[in-house]
Amino acid sequence: MTEPVLQVENLSVDYVVGEGIRAALRDVSFELHPGQVLGIVGETGCGKSTLAHAIPRLLAEPPARIRSGRVVFRGIDLVRLPKWQLPQVRGTGISMVFQEPINSLNPAYRIKDQIAEAIHIRHLRESGKEKGLVSPLAPYDYSKRDLPKAAEVLTKPLVPSLAKRKMRLPLEEDKEKLLREVLEYLRLVRINDPETILGLYPHELSGGMRQRVMIAIALSGRPSLLIADEPTSALDITIQAQVLTLMKELMTEVNTSILFISHDLGVIAEMADAVGVMYAGHIVDLGPVDQVYQDPRHPYTKALMRSVPNRYKTDGPLPSLPGSVPNLVRLPTGCTFHPRCPIARPQCSKDPGPALLPAEGASSSQHLAACYFSRDVLGMP
Amino acid sequence: MTEALVETVDVEKLFPLTQSLADTLAGREKHVIHAVDGVSLQVQRGEAVGLIGESGSGKTTLGWLIARLHDSTGGKILFEGVDITKVKGRDLRPWRKEVQMVFQDPVSSLDPRMRAWQIVGEPIQAQGPITKAQLRARVAEILPHAGLPADTLDLYPHEFSGGGRQRLSLARALALDPKLIILDEPTSALDVAVQAQVLNRLVKLQRDLGLSYLLITHNVAAVRYVADRVAVMYLGRLAEVGPVREVLEHPLHPYTKALLAALPVPEVRRRAARYRVSGEVPTLINPPPGCRFAGRCPFVIDRCRVEEPLLRVIPNHPNHTVACHRAEEIGDLPPEELIGEIPRLPTS
Repeated sequence: MTEPVLQVENLSVDYVVGEGIRAALRDVSFELHPGQVLGIVGETGCGKSTLAHAIPRLLAEPPARIRSGRVVFRGIDLVRLPKWQLPQVRGTGISMVFQEPINSLNPAYRIKDQIAEAIHIRHLRESGKEKGLVSPLAPYDYSKRDLPKAAEVLTKPLVPSLAKRKMRLPLEEDKEKLLREVLEYLRLVRINDPETILGLYPHELSGGMRQRVMIAIALSGRPSLLIADEPTSALDITIQAQVLTLMKELMTEVNTSILFISHDLGVIAEMADAVGVMYAGHIVDLGPVDQVYQDPRHPYTKALMRSVPNRYKTDGPLPSLPGSVPNLVRLPTGCTFHPRCPIARPQCSKDPGPALLPAEGASSSQHLAACYFSRDVLGMP
Repeated sequence: MTEALVETVDVEKLFPLTQSLADTLAGREKHVIHAVDGVSLQVQRGEAVGLIGESGSGKTTLGWLIARLHDSTGGKILFEGVDITKVKGRDLRPWRKEVQMVFQDPVSSLDPRMRAWQIVGEPIQAQGPITKAQLRARVAEILPHAGLPADTLDLYPHEFSGGGRQRLSLARALALDPKLIILDEPTSALDVAVQAQVLNRLVKLQRDLGLSYLLITHNVAAVRYVADRVAVMYLGRLAEVGPVREVLEHPLHPYTKALLAALPVPEVRRRAARYRVSGEVPTLINPPPGCRFAGRCPFVIDRCRVEEPLLRVIPNHPNHTVACHRAEEIGDLPPEELIGEIPRLPTS
């Protein structure tokens, strides 16, 4: 087995808030291997976004506090890394795509400058002019792709004079070469007419286009890990389908591992190789995506799967899960799911339940569930 | 055919964009957003109609027109056969009682400084004087219909969960015992498990109280559970209308097929190329003649760009209307069977 790109071990994160301490993540552990796509799925407030932000240490600390655990990214424990070194990992090591591209893009800069900045930083790190803690991935093979005609756009100045002071822009670098690379990335994300897009500002693009630009920026650092936090949730359904198709195609072209976070079970089914189901800050079911979906071994996963409406089924009421997600300040004692669990036994209200155990009777040894009674899930009412 | 509860006849809502003085003086063409552009739709008594479409399709505007929150710029709206298109202000009041709305975001549609009984009681007060004790008693009767315990009377909206808030919205809509409830994305802000609770509640209420619904949503699966008929909207026009099962299992319009194909399904299937449409939803400002979907349609022919297709019944599909010139040729295959390469049809 190859060495994992990312190992998260017993990661626990709290938020210190007025009413007390919210246990946002409790003992989260998983591994992500090169080229793998791990989906994280769960309802609002289950901690999936906290996880996405905790890995590259983007959480505001305080109020967040990493209580324990390790996040080992390519051999470096990010939890122990001093704060000033964290930017050296981001971009060329770990990059992110968030839900709302309009909030991630700088409204005051043109698209080309925003992509150029990311590429420039990678160039600096590749050439050793700036220290990067991890090296970017090997260049992608663009030989299959027809290269852009950059000449027409080169007549315009790349950098508006005002921008020079604010953004880290390549004053000394060969602008033509840089711009050609920017165009390559715009083409990589299948943007039609990239020469026009270059000079536009984020507000002039549609939601789908903006998210493509975000993906281009994220990939232009050639990261080993891409964290996508609900990347298509703000998009319309046909546009979401286009962006998902694009991301799937890109997975085969770039060698990046992806942590794909979504509340949508359908999106995860389409994108991920493996999936972790989160409930109240804890991964309760983890395994290959076909295993977890077809043979869920945690009562929560099974209840969640059944409550999704399906356009081909219409008889009878939708099976729904009683109750609601627990308050993270006052978690129930024992297993956090026991108040809603149809197969709970008396001991579940006292025993906090196991960490992830191999699911009993599952067809893969990689299928883990945080439940002592994973065998009972099969006959769950 | 019996008289419909609500009927729109070629209803139209155009939003003119502001124009600069220079443009006005130069006599340049005005830019107009065609949000709803000639839509005829009926909702029968006791019927739930789903209205699906993407953002910018005009589905919310249509809902607002029917609720008379917008004034239409053309066409007619009939309620139980009475034309209410031009009725204004105080004269609308008896009719307001019959049509209520539930909005997408329960946080912004509930006043954070009012208690549950005040929120649900407000529409009742608006209809006539009532004592506080009577009002509270009346609200306590209504809350259980929406699936809320009666002891939540004195809570503020922030004390409810997301699903609880949406139920509170629903209770407010039920307060006046309306005939039609317009549900605008009622479950889009909710998690799946909570969404299932709310959808089940909607189905039960409709059965128990004989309500009519207009369910506006982009969530096709929710429509399947709640609605009897479904209308698919694209860029201000109806693309397809029919019984929910017919439309979702045998879609006729290329846009409906694309919309269904784009739904991520929580099943692990062969990750094959799927039927996809390219391009994005174009702008509604001064749309070109012809079919609104022509720019993205894989089956487009020259005729589509010139002549606007009208909703029509095609053979073998009774009660099912579609606005597509080529519906017969394209057929009713569900998108799953159009996987891979889109069949190239002979261009007539």
